[in-house]
Amino acid sequence: MKVSELVEKTGLKTFNEGADKEIKGVYISDMVSDIIGINEGHLLITLQTHKNLIAAANLVDVAAVVISRNKTPAEDVVALANKAGIKLLGYDGDTWGLAKKLCELKIG
Amino acid sequence: MSNAACHHQWAMTNLRSGYLVIEGCFHCRNRISFFSQEPVAPIDDYHEGEHFWSHLAHYQASQFDLKCEKCSAEMQLKDVMALMLCMKCNPECGVYAAGTQEPSQKTWVYAALCADTSHSTKKCIPPESIRALNEYFNQSIKDPAKKIVVVPCSLRKSVDTCQGVVLADFGLTDLY
Repeated sequence: MKVSELVEKTGLKTFNEGADKEIKGVYISDMVSDIIGINEGHLLITLQTHKNLIAAANLVDVAAVVISRNKTPAEDVVALANKAGIKLLGYDGDTWGLAKKLCELKIG
Repeated sequence: MSNAACHHQWAMTNLRSGYLVIEGCFHCRNRISFFSQEPVAPIDDYHEGEHFWSHLAHYQASQFDLKCEKCSAEMQLKDVMALMLCMKCNPECGVYAAGTQEPSQKTWVYAALCADTSHSTKKCIPPESIRALNEYFNQSIKDPAKKIVVVPCSLRKSVDTCQGVVLADFGLTDLY
């Protein structure tokens, strides 16, 4: 499933344009030191909104990043994501709730 | 297939979580860092030769090694304390310059940080480790215009003014 299709089916907020990549899996983590080990094409779900999140996500070439708990990334974080072509999405609920939705959609 | 002939397909292995610990010497003002896998990051002050090392900071971080899935060659990356994204803050910096040598607009430069932050020993990350890191992070990139360039931190012009983004978890171990 592509990121655009995910947004359509789940109503996730979009914070920027970003590339419309194919989602190959899902990874949930709030620690940058953990993110650098994930595989390319994964949808990253996190509470983190720091710039180093984008630095790590760019290094491992994620499909997109979903920030849960209704958190909003700062402008400089969005700007860095734009440069990296990483789509930033938002979810109002908690990470577990989103994980359940993704399971229902058979993503990951 | 021999290691020399192999076009390596690297996989991350031996991923270990710990702390990136930064220490400074008040005598010579040098800085060093090291990776600790202790349950609690060491924060002791100690005397070593002419140095008086004091704890400056520590952040949760991770280290890893690489192993080729084709020839089983291993690349230990114990010298790599962390990776840092270059934010292109200073055109006179060697890390910045490493990115300008690539024609692509989507070139991202990451500095591999070694333990000797001040480079008083004149040593840094070995070239073979840098080469393996470049191979690893570029091998799965699908966008033909995108490139990751990993360079040793010895190219960095100034530790104090560098605005690079270190891939470590800041603030999680702060005491309030």
